[in-house]
Amino acid sequence: MSAALETQALGRRYGSQWALRDCTLEIPRGSVTALVGPNGAGKTTLLRLAVGLTRPSAGSVRVLGLDPHADAADALPRVGFLAQEHPLYGGFRIEEMLRVGRELNPGWDDDAARARIAELDLPLKKKVRSLSGGQRAQVALTLALAKRPELLLLDEPVASLDPLARREFLQSVLEAVAEREMTVVLSSHILADLERVCDHLVILATGSTQLVGSIEEIVASHRLLTGPRDGAEDVTRTHEVIRESHAERQSTLLVRANGHVYDARWTVHELDLEEIVLAYLGQDAARRREAVAS
Amino acid sequence: MTWLSWRLQRTETIVALGILALLAALLVPTGINMWDAYHHSGLGACLGANPSFSCGNRIGDFRAQFQSLSDLANWFTLVPGVIGVLLAAPFVADLENGTYRLAWTQSVTRGRWLLARLGLPFLAALLVGGGLALLFNWWRGPTAHLDGRLDTGIYDSTGTVMIGYTLFALGLAIALGALWRRSAASLVVGFVGYFATRIGVDYKLRAHLVSPLTATWKGAQEPSFLNDARIISLRATVHGHEVLSGGGGFIGGTAKVGVPGLKNAVFHAVYQPNSHYWPLQLTETALFAGVALLLIAFAAWRVLRTD
Repeated sequence: MSAALETQALGRRYGSQWALRDCTLEIPRGSVTALVGPNGAGKTTLLRLAVGLTRPSAGSVRVLGLDPHADAADALPRVGFLAQEHPLYGGFRIEEMLRVGRELNPGWDDDAARARIAELDLPLKKKVRSLSGGQRAQVALTLALAKRPELLLLDEPVASLDPLARREFLQSVLEAVAEREMTVVLSSHILADLERVCDHLVILATGSTQLVGSIEEIVASHRLLTGPRDGAEDVTRTHEVIRESHAERQSTLLVRANGHVYDARWTVHELDLEEIVLAYLGQDAARRREAVAS
Repeated sequence: MTWLSWRLQRTETIVALGILALLAALLVPTGINMWDAYHHSGLGACLGANPSFSCGNRIGDFRAQFQSLSDLANWFTLVPGVIGVLLAAPFVADLENGTYRLAWTQSVTRGRWLLARLGLPFLAALLVGGGLALLFNWWRGPTAHLDGRLDTGIYDSTGTVMIGYTLFALGLAIALGALWRRSAASLVVGFVGYFATRIGVDYKLRAHLVSPLTATWKGAQEPSFLNDARIISLRATVHGHEVLSGGGGFIGGTAKVGVPGLKNAVFHAVYQPNSHYWPLQLTETALFAGVALLLIAFAAWRVLRTD
């Protein structure tokens, strides 16, 4: 079966500026993936390419095995998308927003949508304009979920929400995933938001992919090594060094380990996910500084 | 998709119909008065039987009674612009607010979305424009008999041109909206552009939409076939020397060319005869409606292309 989302050297340029460049990744079906990267890394562009809102300038993108543009009529009903600003028609009542979903989606689950709105204690007659940010996000999520998508793409879904609304929103996503088979991709520039709900991670930096994999595997493979400076080169030969710092005699290396580190001169520390992500983003920032300097 | 398009368009469509109803409320009573006066004063019968100059007193009375109303009515030539721009507003707002992305990520294709989002305001503009045309054709009836239906103010609000004007204003505002994605700017510039285009067509283009006729005669008495024609330009020569020239396109009332002291002059007139009324009307309507369709097609192409 084809991957939920698959890109090959995908790129998108606006004028002379690349918003996303050389992005190759594969997100397996059934996963809940965090798409992490600094602002401007191309997260929004990647998701918009995946749902067909934007066309690629280079490379290709396939969702559920389909081209989101050429096969829009087949792909659209199977992909849910929630844009960052949670666009809804301000003058509509909530029940009218649900009707929009019903009119525009053949697979619409009206009972589930109404049940969710009831659960959120939102009156159906209430105007969208008068909702709080958290409530708007929930209504937008309801719309995306009741479409019964196989792939749900959420672009910075909690960025504009207060901490309580964030928790509630992510809880809703978790519940939805538990209820039915669905692949979810959530983007954020803050990992802490997503760590709780995700099992896969994509790090996107300077518009290209840096790391793709399951969180379990990523945490298992990354280690912080402390040891003699003259031994650093040996480590570099077998393991991928993400970040290094050197004192006079001692080196500290953050590596993606290729198997075990056998050299007894090195002390091995485990890392949590946040440290790993920060290392990648720091590496990216350093590269960007170099690029600017040269 | 039809429901969504209607829901987004509902308020503006109702307001546009409201404007039409308001105009009807204003024009129907005064129109009844005018038609009454026209028939009961014998003016209608007089004009039917004689050339207009022999009904002088009756015309004078009628004008005295209704001239201010008739002048006021010239302003109504702006109404199609207001209606068109108003009906374009929801589509432009959809682009400005980014809510079109919500629709594009449901299960309908962009083609269907565009058809519904642009088709509905187009039909509404057609409907309201048609309503305006019907209302004004009736209301302008007596003055059209009096001043000739080629008189600018009357020509502008009778026949079918109001439908073309309404569609044009709609298309212009929609095209600007697709280009700028700014409601206020698109609607304001759309309306100003509508007005400027109308002035240009009224004063420059209209006279040549259908090839005008020419006439040459001697002496100060204008020939009777020019009574209800529109003079586009007029020259008078004495022994080959030009002694009078005038033009001004379609401006001014029916030209009174009898100039004293030019008894021996030869007059050359370029004019649109009364019989060109419908060819002119249909050409101008087709022109405005055609440009409207092109503008809407441009907007559709632009919207599909940008993202």
